[in-house]
Amino acid sequence: MNRVYAALAIAGALLAAVPLLGLPLFYESFCYLVFHWIVLATSWNILSGYSGYFSFGHGAFFGAGMYTTATLASRFDVPFLWTLPAAALVAVLLGLALGAVVFRVRGVRGELFALVTLAFTFVVGTIILNTRIDGGPGIYLSAVPIPKIGPSPASTFYLLGLAAALATLAIAYGIYRSRLGVGLFAIHDDEDVAEVLGVPTFRCKMVAFGVSCGLAAIAGGIHALFISYVTAGDTFTITVPLTVVLMSVLGGTRHWAGPAVGATIITALLYAFTAGDHAIAGKAVFGGVLIAVILFMPQGVLGTLVARRRKRRASAVPVPAADAMMETRPPREARPIGPERILVAHGIRKAFRGVRALERVDIDVREGEILGLVGPNGSGKSTFVNLVSGHYRPDGGELVFAGEDIAHHDAHWIARAGVARTYQIPRPFEHLTVLDNVAVPAMFGAAHLDRDAALREARRWLEFTGLADKAEWLPEDLNLHQRKFLELARALASRPRLLLLDEVLSGLTPTEIDGAIRLIRRIRDEGATIVFVEHVMRAVWALTDRIVVLDHGQVIAEGTAEEVMGRSDVVTAFLGKAHA
Amino acid sequence: MRALAIHKEEVTMRSTTVRHLVGGIAALACALAVVAGTASAAPSGPPIRIGSTLALTGPLASTALVHQLVGDIYVEQINKKNGLLGRPVEWIVKDDQSKPDLARTLYEQLITVDKVDLLMGPYATGAILSAMGVAQRYNKVLVHHTFGIPSLAKYDAQFPTWSLGADPAATFPNTLFDALATTPKPPKTVAIVTSKFPSVHFMSLGAREAVKKRGLQEVVFLEWDFGNRDFGAIAARVKDANPDLVWVGAIGLEGNQLLDAMKKIDYTPPLHFYMYPAPGPMAQAPEAKNALAATIFEEHAPYLNNPGAAEFVKLFNERAAKAGLPYTAVETQAAASYSAWQVLDAAVTATKSLDDKVLAEWLRKNKVDTIQGKLRFDGPSNYGDDLMAVKQVQNGRWVTVWPKSVAAPGATLMTK
Amino acid sequence: MGLPSLSLIAQSVLSGVFIGALYGLLGLGLSLSWGLLRQINLAHFALAFLAAYLCYQLSTVGGIDPLLTLVVIVPGFFALGVAMQWLFARFEITAFNSLLVTFGLTVIVESLIQSIWTADFRRLESTYGNAKFKLGFLYIPAPELLTLVLSLSLAFSMWAALRYTDIGKALRAAAEDGPIATAFGVNRQALALLLSGACAALAGVAGVCIALSYTLAPAQIYGWIGVVFAAVMMGGLGRPLGPIVAGIVIGVSESVTMALTSPSWAPLVSFSLLIVVLLVRPSRV
Repeated sequence: MNRVYAALAIAGALLAAVPLLGLPLFYESFCYLVFHWIVLATSWNILSGYSGYFSFGHGAFFGAGMYTTATLASRFDVPFLWTLPAAALVAVLLGLALGAVVFRVRGVRGELFALVTLAFTFVVGTIILNTRIDGGPGIYLSAVPIPKIGPSPASTFYLLGLAAALATLAIAYGIYRSRLGVGLFAIHDDEDVAEVLGVPTFRCKMVAFGVSCGLAAIAGGIHALFISYVTAGDTFTITVPLTVVLMSVLGGTRHWAGPAVGATIITALLYAFTAGDHAIAGKAVFGGVLIAVILFMPQGVLGTLVARRRKRRASAVPVPAADAMMETRPPREARPIGPERILVAHGIRKAFRGVRALERVDIDVREGEILGLVGPNGSGKSTFVNLVSGHYRPDGGELVFAGEDIAHHDAHWIARAGVARTYQIPRPFEHLTVLDNVAVPAMFGAAHLDRDAALREARRWLEFTGLADKAEWLPEDLNLHQRKFLELARALASRPRLLLLDEVLSGLTPTEIDGAIRLIRRIRDEGATIVFVEHVMRAVWALTDRIVVLDHGQVIAEGTAEEVMGRSDVVTAFLGKAHA
Repeated sequence: MRALAIHKEEVTMRSTTVRHLVGGIAALACALAVVAGTASAAPSGPPIRIGSTLALTGPLASTALVHQLVGDIYVEQINKKNGLLGRPVEWIVKDDQSKPDLARTLYEQLITVDKVDLLMGPYATGAILSAMGVAQRYNKVLVHHTFGIPSLAKYDAQFPTWSLGADPAATFPNTLFDALATTPKPPKTVAIVTSKFPSVHFMSLGAREAVKKRGLQEVVFLEWDFGNRDFGAIAARVKDANPDLVWVGAIGLEGNQLLDAMKKIDYTPPLHFYMYPAPGPMAQAPEAKNALAATIFEEHAPYLNNPGAAEFVKLFNERAAKAGLPYTAVETQAAASYSAWQVLDAAVTATKSLDDKVLAEWLRKNKVDTIQGKLRFDGPSNYGDDLMAVKQVQNGRWVTVWPKSVAAPGATLMTK
Repeated sequence: MGLPSLSLIAQSVLSGVFIGALYGLLGLGLSLSWGLLRQINLAHFALAFLAAYLCYQLSTVGGIDPLLTLVVIVPGFFALGVAMQWLFARFEITAFNSLLVTFGLTVIVESLIQSIWTADFRRLESTYGNAKFKLGFLYIPAPELLTLVLSLSLAFSMWAALRYTDIGKALRAAAEDGPIATAFGVNRQALALLLSGACAALAGVAGVCIALSYTLAPAQIYGWIGVVFAAVMMGGLGRPLGPIVAGIVIGVSESVTMALTSPSWAPLVSFSLLIVVLLVRPSRV
């Protein structure tokens, strides 16, 4: 990891010496433009590429930065370099204000987020155009003194641009490798699952957005002095966001350096065709090159190169004979069931648009037990799991976990507290490797480990579930059985105190079910309490200490398996009434 | 596929064909011929390279192609005679794609990499400002032709050929109102509607001042965002206000869009003025009858009597037609452009030098004969006389109507 | 300055409806290909302008009635759309990659247009351009009325086709879950080609409407992208009635603002309204 920072530092030092070479100054101005777009594209990618929250509003923050610098430098005579942090601050506040409203609304994702940010750009632009900030004539910066950083003004912009680009790349890389980055990539694939696994999604998005806006504003501030005449009509358009999207996609949005590669290529291409004689044809060639690159490198230039390298690595791992379940530790004695109730649900109500999914549900879960939750389809079992894990909030009633009221907390808080769940239809993070999938909850769940420890923990759980040899695979390469076990490994990696298994056995063959049963027993022996939602009665009989029966959203029976399954009302609920 | 004559590399040519000099060659051409002193009329030696950018692509391309044509024509003319200081002229033009930051960087390339001898200005205020900054940094003279905001031109070696005068917001509205005062029924109520585009907005604010000073009544004042597509409400509000004169601070197609919208609600303003309309569409639209605008040159006497004007107009009409342009007449854009070349040419020829300091000194102290008339650069921001006149669409053509000194013979401001 | 007259407000609303209809017409093909084919087709705008220029050329030089040019343009562009989709399918282009590819196509088409017709302004003068009707005190110009009629009818037809015809249902099924639809016998490739051709044909129709009402220049292709994208995203991807409804909301809110206060505030009102609507009811408009 240090290699990258070192490489950036060395590149920075080398490039910083360029103005001393005495080359024609045009090259420095050209390089400034490349650095400028590197900052814009990379900063955009920090939110939009990593997390998938596609923003069409980068122009608003770039423009906010431009106008902050322009106003402070030309109207208030603030020295230019001091305007840059001010520009960043303004944009960050603006972005956080927008994010605070927009990120909380669940439905605004994907193209709706793009639309909100685009609309935001037009709103900000119109306000600036119509108020005293600009009012129409634009702001003129030719009178602002350019700081003497390099031997010439062109060198000054070159060095400022270089510094901004290096800082942006370092930040992008830092986030990429950090816990925040992992969280963002998890959000990209499935935000709801990420939240349930403990990723504080709102916080992650806000931080990424804030950083993105701040960096864009700095690029804007520097650019304001570069072009020395700022107008609202040229700034608050779809041009900047569209260009950064193209650059990032061309280079690869999933890599921290992808946008920089794309920015360099596109800026260089734009300049290659400026000769007056073939300007029109040149533009067509530019379009053609873009098409050609993306057709043959669909994940972007860097993305494709990285993917090819990963494929080679994954195929190099030797494949052992069968799904051996390795015993990593000697089995512990079965822990006795404690008297404490780890989970108390009292009077729980939940309705969806008139359909009452749960009605006055009381369920206690004792520490160390395996509680079976059974009932016919539509009885509310999954809803209960969703409520406990924080996917939904209950409409009424109390939900207390380990002494804490969890009904009003975000899902990620509940995950941190020690609750984990699996999904009936596996929902792995499709673009993360199997190993990374399991590392996410290890980093964000109750264990809250750092990256290296999380990866080690993830490997351990992959071994536990027999997926160790597939660590570098992508989830799409797994079969259903393996995906279910991946779900399981993921749920375990956060070291939960309470594990909710939602029909984890559905779709498995009898042999696979046996293996799963053994595995679940071992999990309980390791110290977890398990709520086991299941239809496969064989497993329910074999595993559970107690059963709760739900029907039409209400608890109709509770007790040991023998007690409950003999009752006629339970049989009726499952099988229907006998009509003679 | 008709291609525009885009880049010309004029290399020394040995002309074997006999040419005649077309009648009406300006005194300027004679001055150039003197320098050569040889029997042959062709220039020789290493070329003098003049560099500039133009918006060959992008939204500004629609008007910039006029400047490209003009530059090509001028360079061709000058090379047919004796070149500049006896040497052939080579014009290196790059495409700034309508982006000021590209213009800025390309000018830097022209100066530091291509190492051109002289600069010519780009198209439109934004690009010119960018170029001006670069020119200032490298102490190069910048003659430019389409700069709309004189108060922003702060470099002392920049020379404008769009003769707005140093304070057009104060002077031009008066010119217009003076013209209108000569009509049988001068306007008493004025509607001022304007784009917020920088180079027209401040002119419209000047118009408001003029209206106040002259004791006229402003019945409605509206501003729209440049890029606005829907002029229905604006047209309706103008119609409702029922003004005698509509001042439209429009640039490019905005004027036509407003006219269109007014036509659709059956409204023809009694008098209407457009600041900087795209000349072709405005002249050719039936609903633009009697529209007024600002100009510094039109294709009629007395302008045609100015040095080089008649020959240029003929050449331009031919070339524009050949290039497939729908509108081939010479007006403000082409004239300002040609004047810029004339100015650069005159300075170099008179000082026999390519040194920018020398050229700047000379220009500040001397007057240059151009197709617009005599230009001087000794006013504030190097602006000289205000040569802005008022033109009107009459029978599908632009005709200058005021002041009388430059009005087409017999032309008057037509009212409804 | 008193309250504006009723006729002013009404005429402004109408003006907003007309331009909203054009946003809707431009957005219809874009929305369908984005929602049902998962392609963000920037080239849609370039195609529309290509059609506009062709209409201009056939009309001005060939003397053909502008509306009759549809006879040539609709099938021609349908074929273009099919060809484009064939290329996309062959290379398995994802949604965001399609943005890049279609941007490249847009630039190429723009260059083509500029090299044939130059960057200078072109205006189609037609009898339609001058015709208008009067409804009480309201003026209804013919080209705008035509655009409105075409926009509404095409939007409704697409809606009905998607809802009630077998092909429409198959398309929706394929969009929702491709592999399952194939398992049920839906020929996804053929449907994709058909839809892409239809979207391109819609672009062609939009182009003819543009040619009737606007002066053309190549770079104008980009002037519509922002607002039409907004209308498409607000109306919901793949929903035929979405763009025109959203477009009219945008157009009318801007137009009414222009009638009541300084017109330069118009984008603030329309886009703030958009943001509010999205935040309050994000799942549908």
